[in-house]
Amino acid sequence: MQSFELLLQGFSVALQPTNLMWALLGSVLGTAIGVLPGIGPALTIALLLPVTISVAPTSAFIMFAGVLYGAMYGGSTTSILINTPGEAGSMMTALEGNKMARAGRGAAALATAAIGSFVAGTIATILLTFAAPFIAEIAFYFKPADYFALIILAFTSVAVVMGTSRVRGFIALFLGLGLGVVGIDKMTGAARLTFGVSGLFDGIHLTVVLVSLFAVGEILYVASRYRPGVGDVITLKGQAWMTKEDWKRSWKPWLRGTALGFPMGALPAGGSEIPTMLSYTLEKKLSKHSEQFGHGAIEGVAGPEAANNAAAAGMLVPLLTLGLPTSATAAVLLAAFQNYGLQPGPFLFTSNPELIWGLIASLYIGNVMLLVLNLPLVGIWVKLLLIPRPQLYAGILVFAMIGIWGLSGQVIDLIVMVTIGIVGYVMRVYDFPIAPVLIGLILGPMAEVQLRTALAAAQGNPLVLASTPLSAIMLTIAVLFLLVPFVLKRLKANA
Amino acid sequence: MSNNPETSLPQTGTGDGARAAPRPWWLGLCVIALGCVCLYGTSTLAQGARYAGIGPGLFVTIAGGGLVILGVMLLVQIARGEQFEAQDAEDATGDEKANPVALGTALVAVILPIFTMNPLGLPITAMLSFTLVARAFASRKPLLDLVYGAVLGSAAWFLFTRLGLQLGGFLPFAGF
Repeated sequence: MQSFELLLQGFSVALQPTNLMWALLGSVLGTAIGVLPGIGPALTIALLLPVTISVAPTSAFIMFAGVLYGAMYGGSTTSILINTPGEAGSMMTALEGNKMARAGRGAAALATAAIGSFVAGTIATILLTFAAPFIAEIAFYFKPADYFALIILAFTSVAVVMGTSRVRGFIALFLGLGLGVVGIDKMTGAARLTFGVSGLFDGIHLTVVLVSLFAVGEILYVASRYRPGVGDVITLKGQAWMTKEDWKRSWKPWLRGTALGFPMGALPAGGSEIPTMLSYTLEKKLSKHSEQFGHGAIEGVAGPEAANNAAAAGMLVPLLTLGLPTSATAAVLLAAFQNYGLQPGPFLFTSNPELIWGLIASLYIGNVMLLVLNLPLVGIWVKLLLIPRPQLYAGILVFAMIGIWGLSGQVIDLIVMVTIGIVGYVMRVYDFPIAPVLIGLILGPMAEVQLRTALAAAQGNPLVLASTPLSAIMLTIAVLFLLVPFVLKRLKANA
Repeated sequence: MSNNPETSLPQTGTGDGARAAPRPWWLGLCVIALGCVCLYGTSTLAQGARYAGIGPGLFVTIAGGGLVILGVMLLVQIARGEQFEAQDAEDATGDEKANPVALGTALVAVILPIFTMNPLGLPITAMLSFTLVARAFASRKPLLDLVYGAVLGSAAWFLFTRLGLQLGGFLPFAGF
């Protein structure tokens, strides 16, 4: 029950008035960016990084957690009311939720989404509370070869699972790996891929890449294919919240969605797309009202929304215990830790317990705040959708520019912003997944350090990389990730 | 955020999304070129090292070599008729054809700060970029956008500078 005591200590940190204020600020910001198009949690946290460097790390991470959870809540609002999922994980919600809203049951859809998010978020945070220390304990025994194998597994799964094509997934990953090696090599002092440009000696900061891909690339893309007035906001006046029947039909999907979302979010490349899709399919199969699916079935909102929020909490498990990001948002959170000179992983649990446990406790508090912010106040959030799109996207570019210029005040960063922004545009036009670039960029250098450490300890013998049972298993799974789709394709072709 | 998980296999059928150029060879060639740049960058780097077994050049070689191989694979896919569907986003769908004027205007807004940030400062740069992006999104009120941009840029400059960000002078050409 040591976790419980530590959690109580965490609450004493998270309940301090200043930290409550940061949690509220994060939750409000998160909900707002979840509702607004063109800006997601990863981009928001990246833009906040330079500002929060003067804030204590515990407070900053409490705010980031609010942004992360808040975006999940806010995303469902736009999915339901205007049929435009703000986040990948809200796609399934839009399918049924918007149909419900069109049938005059928007309030019920919003309620099951928000309460489901709360239930899933709270259960997943409880699971995180007890699973994280346990995994961190195991991670103490990880050797460099194990870490290297784990990162290779994350690479292959991210590239294979995300997006629609394996080749394009891997191209995105290798782009990230290429960007990650730019700068002075920390072990030998050699300048790599800098081509004599001194501004690149420090490497390309994750914020620059992330903001360029997510903000600049998105602005260029949406501007080129802008359709004014996509989706009308459905009004909720006079609609009833959840009926007794709705509660009856929702609670099981909430729990099943949580059971799917949490473990899948914790897996490398888990993300929120797959668990939400699986939850939707599962609910469709199990529902007594399967004929309503496609026409506004409440189970189709309750399950995926719960899975979405549980996946967000699940994502924190590998990040906090192993320092392994499994999504774009986790990658930028890792960058935030590194900004403070902290390395998430097992040692952070012992060296900085007030940060880790304050952060976990704030997730419980944030969930309560978000339920209050989202259910009764949904009308206010909907008003955000009235911001004219031209000025909204123009404002996003201004903030993106400040985020990049504020890093080091170097023109080279602005040049990199334009270049990578154009790459982001092309990636959207030709359907390349974007998250693998960030995973490659942040995990590539980590993989290199672990590989060198492992090889140095074994005097260059490459067999050391598969010398522990864990590393051998993870490398085997990574190879299977690559091969199984080919084998299945062959078998299908032969059948 | 594509909603068509079936495009992982080369397809020849027609879908409902607008197709990009039917054979975008340049895409594969660009990936190969990027790989070659990485490989060129390794020419001065040691691949091996005494203790670690690998030197600073190895990972660059892996990244470059990987991109070259993947570029070739992409070219093969393109030759086989791989279809590329533009992604859906909020306020835009992949079905729409690109509007070159809007894209060009937004691109100018993004490129502009490279030339104006140091001499003109953040507030004026923000004002100009803001107006250009708004124009790219079909705003018909350039004067009002200039005002919005100036207010946003100035307010952001004051706020973030107070928060400790180094954003340069307010109006560097005027000396402050």
